[in-house]
Amino acid sequence: MASVELKNLSKSFGDVEVLHQLNLTVAEGEFVALVGPSGCGKSTLLRIIAGLEEASSGDVLMDDKWVNDLTPRERNIAMVFQSYALYPHMTVEENMGFNLRISGLSKLEIKQRVGEAADILDLGELMKRKPSQLSGGQRQRVAMGRALVRNPDTFLFDEPLSNLDAKLRVQMREEIKRLHQKVRTTSIYVTHDQIEAMTLADRVVIMKDGRIQQIGTPTELYQNPANVFVAGFIGSPSMNLLDGKLETKGKTKKVILSDGTKLNVRSNSCPLNDGDVIVGLRPEHLHLAKGKTEKNTLTGTVNLIEPTGAQNHLKISMAGKSLAVADSTLVPLALDETIKVCIAPEQIHVFAK
Amino acid sequence: MRRTLPNISLHVVMIIGVLITIFPFVWVAIMGTHSRSDIFSSPPPFYFGDNLLVNYEKLLDVMPFWTVLFNSLFVSVMGTAGAVFFCSMCAYGFFAYDFRGKNIVFGVMIASMMVPPILTIIPSFLTIKFLGILDTHFALWFPGIANAFGIFLIRQYMVNSITRDLLDAAKVDGASDFRIYWSVVLPLIKPALATLAIVMFIGLWNNFLAPLILISTPDKYVLTLALRSVQSVANSPWGAIMLGTFLSMVPLLLAFMFFSKQMMAGLTAGAVKG
Ligand SMILES: Nc1ncnc2c1ncn2[C@@H]1O[C@H](COP(=O)(O)OP(=O)(O)O)[C@@H](O)[C@H]1O
Ligand SMILES: [Mg+2]
Repeated sequence: MASVELKNLSKSFGDVEVLHQLNLTVAEGEFVALVGPSGCGKSTLLRIIAGLEEASSGDVLMDDKWVNDLTPRERNIAMVFQSYALYPHMTVEENMGFNLRISGLSKLEIKQRVGEAADILDLGELMKRKPSQLSGGQRQRVAMGRALVRNPDTFLFDEPLSNLDAKLRVQMREEIKRLHQKVRTTSIYVTHDQIEAMTLADRVVIMKDGRIQQIGTPTELYQNPANVFVAGFIGSPSMNLLDGKLETKGKTKKVILSDGTKLNVRSNSCPLNDGDVIVGLRPEHLHLAKGKTEKNTLTGTVNLIEPTGAQNHLKISMAGKSLAVADSTLVPLALDETIKVCIAPEQIHVFAK
Repeated sequence: MRRTLPNISLHVVMIIGVLITIFPFVWVAIMGTHSRSDIFSSPPPFYFGDNLLVNYEKLLDVMPFWTVLFNSLFVSVMGTAGAVFFCSMCAYGFFAYDFRGKNIVFGVMIASMMVPPILTIIPSFLTIKFLGILDTHFALWFPGIANAFGIFLIRQYMVNSITRDLLDAAKVDGASDFRIYWSVVLPLIKPALATLAIVMFIGLWNNFLAPLILISTPDKYVLTLALRSVQSVANSPWGAIMLGTFLSMVPLLLAFMFFSKQMMAGLTAGAVKG
């Protein structure tokens, strides 16, 4: 097991800089997810950590040793690719044993270690098959097995589940999590799916356009997003972001939305000065107002109702804007009905514009 | 299969095509069994004659046939094996690595395919003479083993059949560059290798011009040269020559029978990728 540290890491392809001065520390045994929209440089970063790509500047450290010049093998990493990248001409057994064979292990030892990994991943009866004879989920498992078999210091995953269907994805996600809880190997997991990142990782790194936006535990990111991008990226359905104005009167702070609605916000959660701001309201924090007495309310007309079972996802039109609300009371509503929703002051996020 | 009219006519056309293609081979085989005077009788005989053994003795008399056959085989096998190895290695270099000037080098290489081979005869003769390998088999097979066509063919096949992730996976598994080439790349480009092998083998086997220019000792002759050298304006032993010609085609037929399936796969790869 190893810790991984990146210092002022930058990467350019020709004139295009795709990673800008990244700093990141991954502790030994930690599971860190890198998440961001497609094209933001996640794979490039992972390939640099793996040693498949050279950084343009900056340092990569593993266990406090400078490893910029080391090959993937010398770094003792294992990687799972999005395309699985199984060797098409080898059987499952040979695929998993390839790196052990290169290491010059004896046949007996290879068989034993491949067998152990196969047991963990339930690959027993597939050992003699070629990758073309496997389903997507099975290939994914073999790719995991190939990584697992070598006992690496660090696991690197590059969107390993994105080629699977939704159900299998959830199942494999659980399996990866369980696996990590068992072997506790340092893992860096790249995905563009925030739910995958949140559910799996001890800490999540949010990236955009080659820059780290925020690093934190899933809860921290959900409760205290550092900027509008993180706020909109984390959470499903995603946060409502509305233009507003911040006003301070004595000790109370208010935001005034474009339709004139005034909402109280908790003053210590909002370190900004008065002026134009962006107000963030999570759909699941907006509640249907029961009586006339409730404070911090917004008024609008119901525009769309999407029942999901546990919740009804509503779209409410409000002064030309659409507001998403996740209603778990399941109160029956009619389209075009005028309703009020309320939100607690401490659940309102305010961001600089 | 339904016996519809288009179907039948298609088969008729194809059978006629096959007959036209096969006819010269059969005729050569027939003539190998006749004496010289039978061959020149009119109409020519379209049946197997009884002069086979005489022709065979005559053939051995005018040339060391089995030595010459072995020479041809040696040159073709060495050239083919060398070409498959070096072209695939070179193609792997162009495919897997990024280096300065890669596109220029590749472009020049492709452009060199456009030069008519006839134009290079004198320069290559001079080069071979300079190297002191005139009148050796080495001069026949060695210069062609890293040829532009082969490199191009195999590289294009790699582009279609090998992903960057696969090479990366092998690197992560700790394979050296040569190991990746040997254990991962080569097994995946077998159809292209077979195609190149058969093209090279036929080319070397049928090569006449190069041996004519480079080989002077009769013991080092290859089949094409030996068969031609016993043909003179008058009195050529045609029965023996035809027999030798037929025997010289047998190895190619055998090679094609073994490799045709792989070769077709190589030639149509990409076209039917699904
Ligand atoms: N080998 C390369 N050459 C040039 N540009 C590249 C190369 N690899 C990636 N890029 C560019 O770098 C950016 C980040 O790519 P990538 O790391 O694959 O993003 P992600 O994995 O987050 O989707 C993209 O704009 C991509 O076009
Ligand atoms: Mg990617």
